[in-house]
Amino acid sequence: MNNCKSILTALAMAGASFSAAAVAQNAGSSLTVNFTGIEEKQGAILGVLVDSEAAYDGKAAPVRPLMVTADKAEVAAMVDGLAPGIYAIKLFHDVDGDGKMNTNPYGMPVEPFAFSNNAQGNMGPAKWADAKFEVKAGANTHSITIK
Amino acid sequence: MTDFNRRQFMGTGILAGTAMITPDMALAGASPAGWAAAVADVEADVPEEALTLVSGKVPAGLNATLYRNGPAKFRRGDSAAGHWFDGDGLVRKFRVRDGKATLAAHFVDTPKRRLETKLNAIVQPGFGTPNRAGSVVNGPDDANAANTSVMVSGGQLLALWEGGSPVMLDLETLETKGFKTFRRDLKQMPFLAHPRIEPDGTVWNLGGNGKGTFVWKLNPDGSLASAQMVPLDRNSYFHDFTATSRHIIIVMQPWVQDGLKFPLSTAMSWKPELGTRVLVIDKNDLSKRREFELPAFAFFHLADGWEEKDGTIRFDGCLEADPTFGQRAASALLRGEHIKSPAPMLTQIVLRPDGKAEMQTTRISAEFPTNDKRVAGQSRRYTTHVTGYGLTPFPHAIATWDWSKGHDDRFNFGDHQLTEEFLFVANGEDERDGWLMGTTLNLKSHRTELHLLDAKRVADGPVATWQASIPLPLTFHGTIA
Repeated sequence: MNNCKSILTALAMAGASFSAAAVAQNAGSSLTVNFTGIEEKQGAILGVLVDSEAAYDGKAAPVRPLMVTADKAEVAAMVDGLAPGIYAIKLFHDVDGDGKMNTNPYGMPVEPFAFSNNAQGNMGPAKWADAKFEVKAGANTHSITIK
Repeated sequence: MTDFNRRQFMGTGILAGTAMITPDMALAGASPAGWAAAVADVEADVPEEALTLVSGKVPAGLNATLYRNGPAKFRRGDSAAGHWFDGDGLVRKFRVRDGKATLAAHFVDTPKRRLETKLNAIVQPGFGTPNRAGSVVNGPDDANAANTSVMVSGGQLLALWEGGSPVMLDLETLETKGFKTFRRDLKQMPFLAHPRIEPDGTVWNLGGNGKGTFVWKLNPDGSLASAQMVPLDRNSYFHDFTATSRHIIIVMQPWVQDGLKFPLSTAMSWKPELGTRVLVIDKNDLSKRREFELPAFAFFHLADGWEEKDGTIRFDGCLEADPTFGQRAASALLRGEHIKSPAPMLTQIVLRPDGKAEMQTTRISAEFPTNDKRVAGQSRRYTTHVTGYGLTPFPHAIATWDWSKGHDDRFNFGDHQLTEEFLFVANGEDERDGWLMGTTLNLKSHRTELHLLDAKRVADGPVATWQASIPLPLTFHGTIA
């Protein structure tokens, strides 16, 4: 399904543009993302933090890649130096640690995936409008359930 | 309106909400034979109850459990499923032990059922149901109705659909344990509701149609033996396939699917000019294949196949002139309408070593063909099937066809009885040493009945009949454990 392809595309872009996106950031807003409900405690949570619909749809570079070891039911990632504004996250649980979102022979994702706001997709990834959230000045937290 | 319907309406307080009953539903309730009970809604799980023996005598020493599956929830709020195949699966457990019989039934707890319960609306897409506002589909299992059959493999009870994963159930409590994933990379892979099980418990099954189909092989202990995509050059819809001890047989009817849209049946068209093709694949080497050509027919169900010494392959199926039933009539059932469709005819298909294929009809209308599973894939003489269509869209009789004598040993339960699939319970060496165990929906008493017939003397009628306290809608398929 489109779902997996879009996420893969987004992640590929995240990887490609990592150095560009990771421009040294000065003090700004920070965002702690809590990932909960991890069932298989292995591998990593891989995702992207984006600040525009274009980046969300894989047509522009993401702000940051997200990567955190998924060895507990709940893990967290901290991102700082963000400009206050509207962001969204798309991620998957790379259970087998191969860096790819694996699919079954018919192309269906076989690893858990999620979006900020726990937004749900339908016949594809969740929409930007449903996944976007505000990062305010100072410290922010956001929780995403992996399932 | 029959007494039952009046009682039903008044007893449940639905009378107060008659504004919600559409004209179609009213028609269903008022239909002369009351057959709409076959596709009625069940509101809750059925706790285990003792069945009442209403006639006959329970054979001494009989100890058998009949698991059956079928859709039993089609309507929520003012919405309804668009097809008989799309209701929520209700798994029934009929058990005969120590001369007594019991029944319990539980809905399979699927994401579809949970979402639709929460919304009080039918929103998930299916074979004949569109996706509606509120639907959430991120994979086939989100739409999985788990409503078509059950199998026991490696001691695990599985509720089967065809477009997604089997669902694990507790053999005793019928409690849902989640989707069965045979291997992580095979999550959400389609798994047909018609596995072919060898006498030693090895399971063969297919999943999906399109440019290829997925061939599953499970070990007798229920674990995955192999899984491989086999290319197909036609996007035929198939609900069933068959096998001999050496070969997998895929019948590609000219009911073909163009792309994916919902309801699924709207993506399928009938192209009789293409004819029917039969693909024979070697179980030991899935790349070894032969194809046979037959005139166009539509079908849902086949019985087990076998081969003769010279390589001739024989199997039987219930063949229809066209797929009107699946396309339209099975949708109309939920609206209480009886659209006449071509009768399925019990037919033997013969594949000759010289590449020629032929069809030999019995001229008997038949569905739900079953046989002694101890000889699955091997030469056999009998096929048990439902029959006696006409008055209602459903069969009224059960019969066993003798392929040697060309004789149908038949018992008609009567116009007031809707007959479901019957399965063979062995009690000796011979193909007919044992009983046929199955269920009917009695429209007169408005109760589901469990019957046991002597497999050698079907025409004599049941040797024992039990009644449940309630009517349950009709099931599709089951298994004996």
